[in-house]
Amino acid sequence: MATSSTSNVYVHVIEDVVSKVRDEFINNGGPGDSVLNELQGLWELKMMQAGAILGPIDRSAMHKAAPGVPITPNPVHDLNVPYEGTEEYETPTADLLFPPTPLQTPMQTPLPGTARTPLPGTAQTPLPGTADNSSFYNIPTGGTPITPNEYSSALDNGGVPEMKGGAGRPSPYMQPPSPWLNQRPPLDVNIAYVEGREDGERGASHQPTTQDFFTLPSGKRKREDFPPQYHTGGYIPQQDGAGDVLSDDLEVIQGSNTRYDSVNSNQQMFVLGGKLSSMIPQFDGPIPDPYDDVLSTPNIYNYQGVANEDYNIVNTPAPNEIQAATPAPLPLNDTGDDDEDEPLNEDDDDELDDVDQGEDLNTTHLILAQFDKVTRTKSRWKCTLKDGIMHINNKDILFNKATGEFDF
Amino acid sequence: MATFELYRRSTIGMCLTETLDEMVSSGVLSPELAIQVLVQFDKSMTEALESQVKSKVSIKGHLHTYRFCDNVWTFILQDAQLKSEDFQENVGHVKIVACDSKLLTQ
Repeated sequence: MATSSTSNVYVHVIEDVVSKVRDEFINNGGPGDSVLNELQGLWELKMMQAGAILGPIDRSAMHKAAPGVPITPNPVHDLNVPYEGTEEYETPTADLLFPPTPLQTPMQTPLPGTARTPLPGTAQTPLPGTADNSSFYNIPTGGTPITPNEYSSALDNGGVPEMKGGAGRPSPYMQPPSPWLNQRPPLDVNIAYVEGREDGERGASHQPTTQDFFTLPSGKRKREDFPPQYHTGGYIPQQDGAGDVLSDDLEVIQGSNTRYDSVNSNQQMFVLGGKLSSMIPQFDGPIPDPYDDVLSTPNIYNYQGVANEDYNIVNTPAPNEIQAATPAPLPLNDTGDDDEDEPLNEDDDDELDDVDQGEDLNTTHLILAQFDKVTRTKSRWKCTLKDGIMHINNKDILFNKATGEFDF
Repeated sequence: MATFELYRRSTIGMCLTETLDEMVSSGVLSPELAIQVLVQFDKSMTEALESQVKSKVSIKGHLHTYRFCDNVWTFILQDAQLKSEDFQENVGHVKIVACDSKLLTQ
């Protein structure tokens, strides 16, 4: 139900629109005037059925109509053209032309507009899931997808935190990426190392693996699970331990790589100039080529068998901290594990959501306007609106200015 | 010129949209022309609200939800009271969608 003033405004708008698009309909091979009239008639019919305009439409009040214009809802005629005559006069009213169509709301055609104001429904907010997921997971895409099993074995050092080593160095206990691994075929460590070859290759080759090599008394690694094929004849680079010293013993020991009992020599010999940063071969999964990837993926430590999907852990500090943190959510998850015994309460908020969605158009009170200013002081909100249409209690009310005061 | 498609959600806008949809579906009207009609409606509606409407309204209520995204404020009020010199209305639940008035003048 509309007041006469709003009804008048609506009628004015309808006529304004129709008159302005008339050129488009008539010229340039448009559908023609009749289609335009049909459009207007249908539009007005719907408006009357919705109670937004009061019929009969008094067009004489709107514009200086030619005399004799019936007041009944006729198709509008161009004001600039003398009233055309019987043909148009006899145009049946919308009611005659179109039997009252069921007021089914058609699917809202997503007609694109020139301005992309938010369409009915929601504002265009970015999907929270997609936007935030990247921040929740600090795992770069190029990170090392080390499987938990292998990694845990790699890091099995008696529970010592793995993030040792200087800044900028990977944990001495982890498997740094070894790009060089792909560069050379594995050498048989049992072959007596030829010095000349060694010199040439020492700097270049970071001999892969040494499976037994890692059974150091420091207990830092257990490499039993490494395939034996990685026994190479070359030196075995090692990055763990501070004060790695390049030892000339390298040559001596090359021939006896099978003897991995001598810790110190093993530790020393395979460090060449401290440059073997990526010498420790890694066999538990693909190896990220850039060495820095490992550094920048502290989340690798998350792979220690704990499927920690706690999205609240954004930063992953030392793994031991992570391990300490994970037990906290676990008790919470435990209650959810027993689906049969304890409900997840997933549906608790559904009723609340329906409050907003379950209302049909007639009961959805809506105010569409433009805002000049929106301010807030503590929990008191104030806004100034203008040029708005209100649909309240099944009524349409228009306003030129509005002030709002809300308490949050 | 950019227009606010905001008013298409009003009663008059929905009626127009439905009418255009029917006519496009039946092939009487081309979609492009329908879009032109809608754009013209946006302009005419905005202009009419500026020039033909003179009333002032005050709105008070409890703010249940507020959202500002893409320069559009959306408020959901509860137990709102709308007052004007002509009328007074009380509604339990009302949604306010407001676009930035400065955007039109840019």
